[in-house]
Amino acid sequence: MILSDTDRKILHRLQSNLPLVSRPFLELSKELDIDEDTIIERIKFMIEKGYVRRLAPIINTQAMGREATLAAIKVPEDRIDEVSAIINEYSGVSHNYLRKGKNKHIPYNMWFTMSAKDDEELHSRLKEIENRTGLTVRSMPTTKKFKIGVRFKIY
Amino acid sequence: MKKEDIDVKLIKHIQEGLPVTKTPYKDIGQALGMSEDEVIQRLKKLLEAGKIRRLAASIAHRKIGINANAMCVWKVPKERVDEVGVIMAGFEEVTHCYERPVYSDWEYNVFTMIHGYTDAECEAVIQAIKEKTGLNDYVVLYSEKEFKKVGVRI
Repeated sequence: MILSDTDRKILHRLQSNLPLVSRPFLELSKELDIDEDTIIERIKFMIEKGYVRRLAPIINTQAMGREATLAAIKVPEDRIDEVSAIINEYSGVSHNYLRKGKNKHIPYNMWFTMSAKDDEELHSRLKEIENRTGLTVRSMPTTKKFKIGVRFKIY
Repeated sequence: MKKEDIDVKLIKHIQEGLPVTKTPYKDIGQALGMSEDEVIQRLKKLLEAGKIRRLAASIAHRKIGINANAMCVWKVPKERVDEVGVIMAGFEEVTHCYERPVYSDWEYNVFTMIHGYTDAECEAVIQAIKEKTGLNDYVVLYSEKEFKKVGVRI
């Protein structure tokens, strides 16, 4: 880890909204007491080195009219690479993980999130995955949201 | 062009990253043929309408040392979902908390995503949730392998 205290301060602040003013980094420089050029230079550094994936709008898929779901499949051990490759082909798939239950056995091992422009497209894509793999896809769309906001404590 | 189409064009232009310059909104405007003020006003409206959750950094959490994550799923009686959901969401380490449907072979209806610097930190949060809610039926799903992880794009 090569981040300085200054970097951490900037990183912590960047997880909240960038001010919508003509000189947003000048605004941050006043908040953080770090000069504007340094802020810009350190953000560029952290993007280049991969600490920051991107400084960009975090899109609310549903508010944009898109439909999304978390889906789970039970994939036989010897078909994991093949099935994950099929799932990852879809541009609407943003996460795909192999998961295991730590304290209990669970019936599914592959978990992915998929969004599509509407319900119809979402279902037809899930159906297509079922047809292509011959496996059952369990769709678990959110029925209620209590929290969404990946902000991390930066020590 | 309709208003919505211009918004989509704007989001598509910046979803891979804003220009990190002294005047990012002016630079976006120049690329898209709109004024700095129009870019700012459109982004303000998109945020107010909730179409954009945040205009902020997505952090590579593993790279900064937040190496542990646990998806913990809970079996919660229907009538307690609202009460319990609020308690779980109150933990700083719980980054996502959702209710989802059940199936004949799946009875865990509340999903929490927990991020921490260590596994022990995640475990401590799960213990605290158990104590605060009195819930005991849960499964910790840890990720064995990441096949894909990208931000949502339109």
